[in-house]
Amino acid sequence: MLTTLIMKELKAVLLSPKFSVTFAVASILMLLSVFVGIREYRAESNQYFAANELVRQEMREARNWMMLGNRIYRAPDPMHIFVSGVHNDIGRFSSISSWQPVKLVNSAYNDDPVFALFRFIDFSFIAQVVLTLLAILFTYDAINGERESGTLQLMLSNSVPRAQVIIAKFVGSWLGLVIPLSLPVVLSIVLLFVFRVPMEAEHWIRLALLMGATILLFTFFVAFGILVSTLTRRSNVSFLICLVGWIAAVLIIPRFGIMLAGQLVAVPTVSEIESQQDTFAKNAWDGHMKTMSEKWRKRSESMEGLSEKDRKAKREEMEWTWAEEDRNDRNRLQNEIDENARRLTEDLRNRKFSQERLAFALSRFSPVSAYQLAAMSLGWTDIDLKTRYEDDLTAFRTVFNQYKEQKQKESGAMGGIRISVDSKTGVKIDAGREIALDLTGVPQYTYVRPDLGESIAPVIIDFGLMALYSLLAFAGAFVMFLRYDVRYAN
Amino acid sequence: MLKLIIEKELREIIGSTRFAITFGACSVLLLLSFYVGARNFQISMEQYEASKREDLRKLEGVTDWNMVRDLRIFLPPQPMTSLVMGVSNDIGRTVEIRGSGELNGIESRYGDDPIYAVFRFLDLDFIFQIILSLFAILFAYDAVNGEKERGTLRLTLANAVPRSSYILGKMAGSFLALAVPLLIPMLLGILILVVMQIPMKGDDWIRLGLVVLAGYFYFTVFLSLGLLVSSRTEKSSTSFLYLLVFWILSVMIVPRTAVLLAGRAIDVPSVDQLASEKSRFSASLWQEQRKKMSEFRAPENTPPPKMMEEFQKFMSSLGEEREKKMSEFSERLNEKRLNKQREQEELAFSLARISPSAVFSLVSTTVAGTGIHLKDLYKAEAERYQESYAEFIRGKTGQNPSGGMVFRFSTGDEEKKEPINPHEIPVFNFEKEPLSASFGSISVDFGILILCSLLFFAGAFRSFLHYDAR
Repeated sequence: MLTTLIMKELKAVLLSPKFSVTFAVASILMLLSVFVGIREYRAESNQYFAANELVRQEMREARNWMMLGNRIYRAPDPMHIFVSGVHNDIGRFSSISSWQPVKLVNSAYNDDPVFALFRFIDFSFIAQVVLTLLAILFTYDAINGERESGTLQLMLSNSVPRAQVIIAKFVGSWLGLVIPLSLPVVLSIVLLFVFRVPMEAEHWIRLALLMGATILLFTFFVAFGILVSTLTRRSNVSFLICLVGWIAAVLIIPRFGIMLAGQLVAVPTVSEIESQQDTFAKNAWDGHMKTMSEKWRKRSESMEGLSEKDRKAKREEMEWTWAEEDRNDRNRLQNEIDENARRLTEDLRNRKFSQERLAFALSRFSPVSAYQLAAMSLGWTDIDLKTRYEDDLTAFRTVFNQYKEQKQKESGAMGGIRISVDSKTGVKIDAGREIALDLTGVPQYTYVRPDLGESIAPVIIDFGLMALYSLLAFAGAFVMFLRYDVRYAN
Repeated sequence: MLKLIIEKELREIIGSTRFAITFGACSVLLLLSFYVGARNFQISMEQYEASKREDLRKLEGVTDWNMVRDLRIFLPPQPMTSLVMGVSNDIGRTVEIRGSGELNGIESRYGDDPIYAVFRFLDLDFIFQIILSLFAILFAYDAVNGEKERGTLRLTLANAVPRSSYILGKMAGSFLALAVPLLIPMLLGILILVVMQIPMKGDDWIRLGLVVLAGYFYFTVFLSLGLLVSSRTEKSSTSFLYLLVFWILSVMIVPRTAVLLAGRAIDVPSVDQLASEKSRFSASLWQEQRKKMSEFRAPENTPPPKMMEEFQKFMSSLGEEREKKMSEFSERLNEKRLNKQREQEELAFSLARISPSAVFSLVSTTVAGTGIHLKDLYKAEAERYQESYAEFIRGKTGQNPSGGMVFRFSTGDEEKKEPINPHEIPVFNFEKEPLSASFGSISVDFGILILCSLLFFAGAFRSFLHYDAR
């Protein structure tokens, strides 16, 4: 009996007039999103390689170890085709220098605001907007539509258990929609091969999980549609309620949750923190200047009373030691400044983290939020992308700076410009020798993506939430249907 | 007769459950968007004040105007910016002013707080686009074929009701029944702004009025489209489906896809390329000047303070020369990129204008001052400010502010100088582009919305004249 009912539902979905139109639209949009995503990925990859080549060229043209600059760009990833997340909102590269901390700057939307107004289209967007609407369109009148056409009372006048009817509704509609929709999914994967997008094993696993999440989201809206149709008597009313629910779940709750958290937990802006860091640095340097002038006075004093030749000799003897001392003082000061900066940044991060936790908890009231968050974790474009990169790059910066200092020492050349002031000979600027830098052994940066084990925890939570919501919706529909008044007096 | 039809439409719509549910939801969302915009403005204002304070604090205790290094300016929050956000969260809000050299905006809202980028904001543009169009579709989709299905259409036409009056009456009646009640949440929303003491100036009220007016035109486009589709289909469920598909395409798909496809069709030199060329040019300028620096000699027997002064002047003149060459070079490169960008924009947005939602978005962001030209405008204003800042510093120190090295020669016995007053530094004021500047594009967009409504209604009119009412 159950299989018969399921087959009936399946056919009802597949043979309904709205199926062909909606299925065509959904498939075209899914393929379009993947196609556009692949083109964007290609364009980004080209830009990435070009940018790296430019950096290499600049490094080859550098003539001075301490002035050697580096820039690290974030690598594009095939997963961005499916989930762009915050990838275009955060900076694309950071400079690696001796004086400035690591900071990702120049986001794609900042550089090209023409894309910022309407933003990108990716697969997860289509899933959230189009597929969910599709689910509702087919299930909003699952129960009350049959009641209105009189077939429900006919069916139940036979010995068909109600439980089987409602289960069949759910399973039949689900199969009738998911099976056809797997076609565009398969075609999208074919597109990946056709355009030779470099996918590794980990990508395939994550993509499979993303499809699983999409199916779960879809399942929720199927259950939701059936639930609403068991709660109302007229199908046009249930449609309105479904639409309102859809707007709330897809468009309103996710954003509102985040905005509410933003208003409840205040977090200072980055400029505030940076200004605080600058103030500390300024005071530290002021103090340093005072100590330095003291030091130099003492050094001059130590040379009092010597003859001109002796003074010159002593100066040459002490030149290296003094330079070492000065360098150590500067390094110690820089470390203090960096430490203070680190503390302020960490404090900011902690506050942001508590704000985020609240925001996501609030927005996870909608299964669509759960889906988006899971998708972003799977696609490596979640909001921690920025901190992950910046932490990693900070570690690289230390290695790179050490390399520079080492090479600087070895070459014996001076870093930068040395200005010597002497009351006799006046001011002299020594701009240093120009040397071609031997860049063998220069540290290379490779970004290590978090593997599945690391990103899986929040993904499991979101999967669990979506499953829970679906279960609750179906349970609600089940219970309501058992008591549903199927009579349709005409 | 026409009046009677209009009255009938009014009663039918306002008395329906459909109206109660959808109007309730619409009102709640409209009020929400006004409230959220107002709160957003207040929070942005707090952050802005805090940033300015912190920035000035690092100048406390400084005794020499020469030691004033980088100053930061911030894009001031404005009421219309918080109501229609446009690209304001994507562009850099902070600019570091050194007195000379090229300026770049850094620290965008979404870049600093990617959490907001995940789902983005709820603003008037977003709510109007979604809600007003859906609202119109929900009532217009069965305007004609619904009546046919209920059997009332042939009853009406069996009387001496001219078809033209009927369809006109439908349009006018639906419009009145839906647009007039919408005034209530709109006005309440404006009241929210007043109650929360959002500082709206006369210009801001005009802009808000234009956005609301554009919203109404946008609503009318979907209303007349609904009428058109419903007068061309037999079953109301079919017309609803078509309208829903059009809605998804118009609101979600076409704007994004059009921009992406057209955007990549024009080759714009990338920011990275430009930055690289500029940095290499800068390096070559430094190389040139190294030789000059090594040849610097102060005249014999000048006392040390005078020597430092000469040295400072020398370095300053070198800096100025570098600056001039660099800015000429940069300007040329920037202009080339800017021209290409304009081409790209024109193509992308012309294509996107197929969708009425895109048209609405473009006009509302332009009117609110958060269209894509905000970035260039901010940069231009920042450059103007940099000049007045440089003049101010010149007035205080007699020299141009140098972005490079500054040397202080302290003999250890200088008198305790008075700390400077950081509040003397000129304040950065950002003026939105006046509406007259974007008059062209605003009128084009309004024109498209009006034209679409008229065309769709004309189509509906024509179709209805031949409609099979049986």
